[in-house]
Amino acid sequence: MARKNNRNPVPTRGRRQDFRRGAKNRPCQMCAEGSIDWKDTSSLRKYLSDRGKIRGRRVTGLCPKCQRKVATAIKNAREMALLPYISGR
Amino acid sequence: MRDYEVMTIHRPDMAEDEVEKAVQALEEHLSGAGAEPTKRDLWGKRRFAYEIDHLSEGYYSVVTFKGTPEAVSSLDRTLFLSDQVVRHKIVRLGD
Repeated sequence: MARKNNRNPVPTRGRRQDFRRGAKNRPCQMCAEGSIDWKDTSSLRKYLSDRGKIRGRRVTGLCPKCQRKVATAIKNAREMALLPYISGR
Repeated sequence: MRDYEVMTIHRPDMAEDEVEKAVQALEEHLSGAGAEPTKRDLWGKRRFAYEIDHLSEGYYSVVTFKGTPEAVSSLDRTLFLSDQVVRHKIVRLGD
């Protein structure tokens, strides 16, 4: 039998409020700086973990648009062997 | 006409001036196809982040150009068929 979900109602349209502890509304870093170049590996590296994985948005603090741009830039750089697919271990 | 950028990796066993000649030939191919190369950037030999075809390094070069989609597809094909080129990538320049 399905339980009634009274405590967590389905979020309505619009921006959901962030209830995480310590959550702050930081502006996206990349929006302020402009765009990034996929050939610029040193600045792309800060969006990679030490295993070479792309860091999530909650870690990078980027807006959805910029996060997508960073992800495609990293994937382009990976294809040209500028960045690793996997590293460490 | 649109702005594009082509990055190529040439084989590491080539001489430096051979690579330069190959890049020049690439630019000539572009102008022959009605495109105009605007910038050339030779990075020199660089280590790969991972092994490609049992190679661990290669000569990187970047050429920006203005051209038509037809010029891009013909360039794509010649680079794909070339034995000197390990890998290449053509990207459209935005903003």
